[in-house]
Amino acid sequence: MTRRSLEIGLAAGAVTFLITAPWLIPALTDNFWVSVITEILIWSLFAASVNLLFGYVGLLSFGQALYFGFGMYGVALGIDHLGLSFWPAFGLGIISAMAMALVSGIFAVRLSWHYFAIITVVFSLIFYFLAVSMKPLTGGDDGINFSLPPVFRLGGRVWSLTDPTFQYFFVLAVVSLCLFLMHRVINSPLGKGFLAIRDNDLRASLIGLNVYVLRLIAFVMAGFLAGVSGALFALFGRYASATYMFYQVSGEAVVWTIVGGAGTMFGPVVGTALFIVIREIVSSHWEHHSLIVGLLAILAVIFAPKGIVGVWNGWMTRLGERDAAASARPQLKLQADHE
Amino acid sequence: MRDTVLLLAMNGLIWGLIIALIALGLSVIFGLLDIINIAHGDFFMVGTVLAWFSLSATGNFWIGFIVAPLIGFILGAIIQRLVIQPIHGAAALSIVATFGLSLILQETVRITFGATPRRMLAPIHGTIPLFGVDYEIYRLFAAGVALVALAGFFLFLQHTKLGIWMRAVRHDRETAVAMGIPAQRVYVLTFGVGFALAAFGGAVAAPITTVDFRGGVDVLPFCFMAVIIGGLGNLPGTVAAAVLLAFLEGLIQSVADPTMARISSLVLMSAVLLLRPQGLFKGFAR
Repeated sequence: MTRRSLEIGLAAGAVTFLITAPWLIPALTDNFWVSVITEILIWSLFAASVNLLFGYVGLLSFGQALYFGFGMYGVALGIDHLGLSFWPAFGLGIISAMAMALVSGIFAVRLSWHYFAIITVVFSLIFYFLAVSMKPLTGGDDGINFSLPPVFRLGGRVWSLTDPTFQYFFVLAVVSLCLFLMHRVINSPLGKGFLAIRDNDLRASLIGLNVYVLRLIAFVMAGFLAGVSGALFALFGRYASATYMFYQVSGEAVVWTIVGGAGTMFGPVVGTALFIVIREIVSSHWEHHSLIVGLLAILAVIFAPKGIVGVWNGWMTRLGERDAAASARPQLKLQADHE
Repeated sequence: MRDTVLLLAMNGLIWGLIIALIALGLSVIFGLLDIINIAHGDFFMVGTVLAWFSLSATGNFWIGFIVAPLIGFILGAIIQRLVIQPIHGAAALSIVATFGLSLILQETVRITFGATPRRMLAPIHGTIPLFGVDYEIYRLFAAGVALVALAGFFLFLQHTKLGIWMRAVRHDRETAVAMGIPAQRVYVLTFGVGFALAAFGGAVAAPITTVDFRGGVDVLPFCFMAVIIGGLGNLPGTVAAAVLLAFLEGLIQSVADPTMARISSLVLMSAVLLLRPQGLFKGFAR
């Protein structure tokens, strides 16, 4: 089997599974797994925001939970305090996350490496503590609950996320759209600029790229991805809480991304799915499932430092080389005959 | 009012001296192995738990002062060899690895010690009047112990073979290896020393705070603040920053709530990172 056919088969299988999941899963097992997959999709998008910065621009952000939290609170406060309907609240969440990313990015992207990781976590901690202390507005650690407005009305029919199947497809559509946009950006000239900075920022600046502006653009884009995932998570749980802005939430996304494979499109999705599925399977039998998560994270960085998808790509490249060698061999022989 | 300010400021000062011990461990690991150690707060937490276990096993509080750093040192050396060494100082991977380590340490303590926070009684009871407030004697004692330990650590760095090796490898690894210093062994021992410092801080602090498997989560950001504000790799700066920060937080706590105090030190830290990334005390000591 060649590399290309294997990958096309895998992609077709994944797409078929995702589209049929709401009917396939109840037939095979518990309905509850549909909501687990919905959750995996949302958190994958969050991990993708870490991946955009770390995997493609070389900036390790340890504070993406801040923008996740802004997306979350934008939706929750928009619906609960301002009485907005669905789409304006969704937009408010995304815009406030991006605005926050712009403001903190202006300061943060001036720094690099250790200092960047630390300043991003410091910013997120400042707002975490603010959110905890502003209890009347944010509900602090307890959070705020809200009831869902309908997504849209068409004629007499009302579509709302209270229908789990509609919610699943809504999340699937939004997450796929965002990942597609990210894919387009990375393959655009802008994305090539990102990669140039990741590989060598000094050289990038010497060939005339404005490193500061490109990093800031990437930071706001990552804020967008985190904001969308936070907004989706608020709608999914009908709930927003300051606990989701704590640094451990950011840390989990970093772990998912690196274990899945940073700098690859699907690495964060694979990493997120792996950890959430393990949590769901193990936590119902054994309450100390974090032990397994911790062990897995350590084993992954020791034995697969490029992540699961990185290892897979390595195998595929070797497979491709073998194919190429197999098809090149007769030619070589022919040449030898000539001589 | 004056009494509260004085009390909180003194609590802050003493807490700062204990934090200085822990942050010193973080700084040594950071400076020498170039890894961001997310599990460092949990090293402190393990120290408090070890103190609790040794008190309940032997009935003698003081044994914890020996047991906690000793077991901490051994654990640190093992962790360095098994987890840190295979990733060759790759900073991003070290974050993931130490994050996993943090989960494992917390969960192991939750299994063995339990999930409920417990209080430990101080071995020295009573208060003495100090500047017009009745102050707990154990806190003063803890401050003294922390000071002695800090002084001991700097003497260790200056005058023992391992201390000189540690400074040499940090200063210039290539030359140090060329001169015959076993860098790998220095890394193992450094990580052990870092863990031991945090665990000793935990044992000293155990009667002041609560013993809890999540006790390290709050300590970690504070230690990072001290390391950054003091200047990366500037060990005396780290100590000064820890004391200064905790003292300021204590002062602010007497007029505002603790969260506000924490926010102001975080804002101070961002300002330092952006304006003086070499730390507040550059030139103060090397």
